[in-house]
Amino acid sequence: MSIVIKQREPSRLPSKTDAEFDRISNLPGHVIDQILSRLPIRDAVRSSVLSRKWRYKWAKIPCLVFDNHCLNFSSQDQSFIKNKLVNIIDHVLLLHNGPIHKFKLSHRDLLGVTDIDRWILCISRSSIKEVVLEIWKGQRYKPPSCLFNCQNLVHLELFNCLLEPPLMFKGFKNLKSLDLQHITITQDVFEKLVSSCPSLERLTLMNFTGVTHLVIDAPNLQFFDIGGIFEDVSFLNTVHLSYVSIGLYVNIDNEENDAQDNSSKLLRFFVNLPHIRRLEIQSYFLKYLAMGYVPSRLPNLCVDLNHLSIRIDFDDLEENTAALCLLRSCPNLLELEMLARPEEQSSMERSTNFWEEDHWSSLFAHLRLVKVSGISGVKSEMDFIKFLLSNSPVLEQLTVKPASQEGEWELMKELLRFRRASIYAEVIYLDP
Amino acid sequence: MSEVDMAVIKPEMMKSYIWLQTADGSIQQVEQEVAMFCPMICHEVIQKGMGSSKNYAISLPQRVNPAMLSLILDYCRFHQVPGRSNKERKSFDEKFIRMDTKRLCELTSAADSLQLKPLVDLTSRALARIIEGKSPEEIREIFHLPDDLTEEEKLEPLKNTTDDPRIRLLNRLYAKKRKELKERQKLKNIEVEEERVDDRSVDDLLSFINGDNGDSKGIKNSKSKKKNRRRKDQQKNTSANEAIKNHNKEPNGLNQVCHSAEVGQKVRAGVGATSNLHDVEDDIFDNKNELDDGDIDDEIDPALKEKIDRYCSYELRKSSKLTVSNEVTMEVEDFARRLNSDWPERMQEILSFGHERKPVHFSLNGNGSLRRYANSEQR
Repeated sequence: MSIVIKQREPSRLPSKTDAEFDRISNLPGHVIDQILSRLPIRDAVRSSVLSRKWRYKWAKIPCLVFDNHCLNFSSQDQSFIKNKLVNIIDHVLLLHNGPIHKFKLSHRDLLGVTDIDRWILCISRSSIKEVVLEIWKGQRYKPPSCLFNCQNLVHLELFNCLLEPPLMFKGFKNLKSLDLQHITITQDVFEKLVSSCPSLERLTLMNFTGVTHLVIDAPNLQFFDIGGIFEDVSFLNTVHLSYVSIGLYVNIDNEENDAQDNSSKLLRFFVNLPHIRRLEIQSYFLKYLAMGYVPSRLPNLCVDLNHLSIRIDFDDLEENTAALCLLRSCPNLLELEMLARPEEQSSMERSTNFWEEDHWSSLFAHLRLVKVSGISGVKSEMDFIKFLLSNSPVLEQLTVKPASQEGEWELMKELLRFRRASIYAEVIYLDP
Repeated sequence: MSEVDMAVIKPEMMKSYIWLQTADGSIQQVEQEVAMFCPMICHEVIQKGMGSSKNYAISLPQRVNPAMLSLILDYCRFHQVPGRSNKERKSFDEKFIRMDTKRLCELTSAADSLQLKPLVDLTSRALARIIEGKSPEEIREIFHLPDDLTEEEKLEPLKNTTDDPRIRLLNRLYAKKRKELKERQKLKNIEVEEERVDDRSVDDLLSFINGDNGDSKGIKNSKSKKKNRRRKDQQKNTSANEAIKNHNKEPNGLNQVCHSAEVGQKVRAGVGATSNLHDVEDDIFDNKNELDDGDIDDEIDPALKEKIDRYCSYELRKSSKLTVSNEVTMEVEDFARRLNSDWPERMQEILSFGHERKPVHFSLNGNGSLRRYANSEQR
């Protein structure tokens, strides 16, 4: 007689077994908000058809992002897309039920100005904290004045906009981060905007028109990143500024400025940056700094400066002088990056022997990492590298990346010869 | 085992432990620095001085069962070590999060109750990744969500999502099914009734079946009036809602009860209503959020109510799946035939909500025969 042992099969009753229990719908509201917030808006709203409980969960998500993923098709017909998008955003805003903390609008086909006005009005009533507005097409968009009433704003990011706050505008009390790119703003408005936001910690300004003299008065500012065309930059009252990245996109004609005052731009620049930690000097800004009198060393050393990045033309005497002054003024430098600017014209004062001379009274005592890029192997550049290698006792890595393949071999042969002060130094050659 | 782990394990004798108790009563001890990674436990230890011994074990929230606790402690044990690089932490997280959805949800819940925000972030991200890009059917399948919305409700939130080809297809499918049903109804009916959208509430429906004379006018209610009724019907319909959620499918009792009927125009109205019962659902489930554990209308006898609800829920469930069968149709017709307009006054009082039509109800007993509900009788 055989004994049949029957395996216990899982229950197939209509009543729910442990494995079939719906565990997600009853998670706490804020957790569901988190989950839905991480979905693209489309998926989040579509969760309303999942089940009874999920019908209005999406309406509570505090952050609405309308970007290129909103519409899952593209079409050549501009007005069709525009209508669809406007429709969707209108619907979502209308059906949304709860505070909106973050609103991002960044669709490449978006054009309709009055629509955006309407949406901003809607969110301004909703204690909004973060606004990101990227207008990819069309003229500079002028946000309505209700945007400037949002006193809970913590982060404001505008792209391709025209800023004209109402006269009554007293600033954003809670604004910590301001990011303005491709904007039009007048000098007064800009100064007032920055100075009336006492909590401002981060300021990004790229490609602006209307401001020529940047006056930054922000006591809590820590991060400052600008790139554009301006004549002057000065920091008032920026004790905490620790990250500065400045790019001047226009070549200054040095001869013109010789006649003017001899005050040192360099000195003025650094006088209010006592605790600067990272500095990036991009495009032609070094030329700007080199204007006027350049001391051999700054009176107050930048003791906190750990990272320095300079875009330089190694053949320009004034730029070299300014760079040397800087290098002498940061005793605790850990990382250095020198980017060679391709020369556009031969300047009057070409110095090819600058770095040959012995400039050093003290060494790069802490310098660990150096990157030199965009070089083409000319004498001044090689002199600089040689100078660097023989004066950095704790150097760990020097990375060299030429601008082109021309003269590669010569460059490498020379590199090989240079004496190194640090026994740990690696010289890494990267392909252009 | 990495060196760091070794360093943690070696001087075990010197370490201090925290005692934790899960909701099921089991107590375990955990290394202090690991447990203190959880803000909730940290708070208990520091503010209340708990956890130092077995008798004073910290009671963990109910959502933390032993299996989840062990997972959470694994997470804490790894992350509380300060020397790890971001890359290491990220790669640990990626591996850690690989588990089935059920456990993921439980873990999210447990981590949230312990206020362990980084873990909640991690699990929410994982859940979001699971949900992203999937169709509603797939999501329901994965998370075992009940498909308890009507087709109209699904379309309500964003009408322009009908542009989604899938929804358009679904709509066409539903429309086709509805059409099929209508065809079937027509075959049964001798007279052709004017088609109209029927979104009356349940009691209206039942009154139709009864064949109340005043009904023909009452069928076409104005919208505003319907709104009032909805509100008043809300309480009563709540239990219908409940019934649908919790009801085990036992149509048998009702099958006995529902006899086929042929009651002329009114019945057809009733029958027509049956096929459009999902509209009625719309009515009933109008104020969704507030209906959750609705108040039972005290005036209606609970037993009667239950029967009404079972009838409704049966019908509604059937129609929401768009599978109104012929049998049901027959049952309804028969049923309607059996009923006549001789309703007890009391019932009418109970069920009238202040509008002109006389709502009527019926009472059904177990063996299926219709019983008139007399005042003195109580079930």
